Amino acid sequence: MVDVLEVRNVAKAFGRRRVLRDVNFSLRRGEMVGIVGENGSGKTTMLKIIVGLLSPSAGEVSVREKVGYCPQEMLVFETLTVDENFAYFAAAYGLRQGPGTDGWRDRERFLLSRFRFAPYKDMLVSNLSGGTRQKLNLSLAVLHEPGLLILDEPYSGFDWETYLYFWEYAAALKAAGACFLVVSHFLYDRGKFDKVYELREGVLRCA
Amino acid sequence: MRLSYILAAWRMSVRELLRSRIAVILFFVIPTLFFAIILLTTTHQEIFFKLASVSEEMFISVSQREEALVFIGLAAVGLLTSFLAMNLTQKHAPANRRLVLCGYRTPELLSSKFLTLAGLIVGIGVYISLLLLLFFQPRRLPLVLLGFILAGFVYGCYGLMVGAIFKRELEGILFIVLLANIDIGWLQNPIYYAEAQNRFIIRHLPAYFPSQVSMAAAFSEHSVLAPLGGSLVYGSLLLLAAGLVFGWKMRVKK
Repeated sequence: MVDVLEVRNVAKAFGRRRVLRDVNFSLRRGEMVGIVGENGSGKTTMLKIIVGLLSPSAGEVSVREKVGYCPQEMLVFETLTVDENFAYFAAAYGLRQGPGTDGWRDRERFLLSRFRFAPYKDMLVSNLSGGTRQKLNLSLAVLHEPGLLILDEPYSGFDWETYLYFWEYAAALKAAGACFLVVSHFLYDRGKFDKVYELREGVLRCA
Repeated sequence: MRLSYILAAWRMSVRELLRSRIAVILFFVIPTLFFAIILLTTTHQEIFFKLASVSEEMFISVSQREEALVFIGLAAVGLLTSFLAMNLTQKHAPANRRLVLCGYRTPELLSSKFLTLAGLIVGIGVYISLLLLLFFQPRRLPLVLLGFILAGFVYGCYGLMVGAIFKRELEGILFIVLLANIDIGWLQNPIYYAEAQNRFIIRHLPAYFPSQVSMAAAFSEHSVLAPLGGSLVYGSLLLLAAGLVFGWKMRVKK
């Protein structure tokens, strides 16, 4: 099976500080990989290199699928409503609203209902709770139905029920062939992952 | 560049701006406050000043209050547009970068912000020209308005650049207030210019050309073509610099 994501010999240093050392791993279609590590172990740096927000000091990354990236910070527009944020990111993905087609409005309705934040659709993001903002942050990453999901602390701030809904949705996507790279301080349900790695002092090891 | 992308980003950018309470408050407070100060502190005494862009030897005689009103109008346009423009590139910069990651091209985002800025500049220019009309009738009002719009263009592009350079609002505001205060709020005043020892510096500051357009239009029949061209070149260079910095900040490896 062809690898959807390949990370080969990736290293990253900020000045003299070496954050990542010779990181190697790959992801196949329908695979779910988790990466754990302490604060400052380089998890977010690695994800930023994979999605293109940072350049590696050495090594290379190959991506062969549409990427959906959910950053750790809530990178959304606070002075826009939830609905307007959906519209803005739909425009960025090049999704059409067109009548009679399965446009982004249907996806928006689906995600609002799946993550149970439909009542907040017309509220300004600045007025939302942290958990609801995170639901939006995550929804924007999957709006365009990506084949490769790169999720940085995706369920932080979720209540238990939403956490369960998230896994239910992730399982459905996985069954449809999407692959996941999930990064967290700790993973509650290791059984849900096909592989779990640990990043310690910039070195990736099987956990 | 894709027009539908630019228009979508422009719509969102306008909504964000209209929801900014501080922007709406400043829009009304700054011009009112500036004009009120002039009305309270000036008289109709006749003064002489040089129209620097026309001739170093030519003096014009006008009412102190009228001269100060045009000058303070320019200062209000410059300060307002630069502050609001800074907000366009500085606020939500990481979210903008996420948009680039999701498919936007940086020039499309910058164009949408410039479109919003252009609307703002015209709005502020017209609003301040109308306020000016309450107190006196300039000789060529449309060209005075043009001078205000050019001041907005030059200072707006400066604001875009400052917003792209600085992450935090405080540093940005400091750089805007510093330049606006020294340039458009002090050195470009023709009364100061007439007595200044080093005019070379004054002639190379951003507000020089736009203020010459407004002053020449308000108090004379002289051509404003040269300062008009100068303003366009100055503003375009600042816009280019803003684009380069914004592009660098928004870069992603695809």
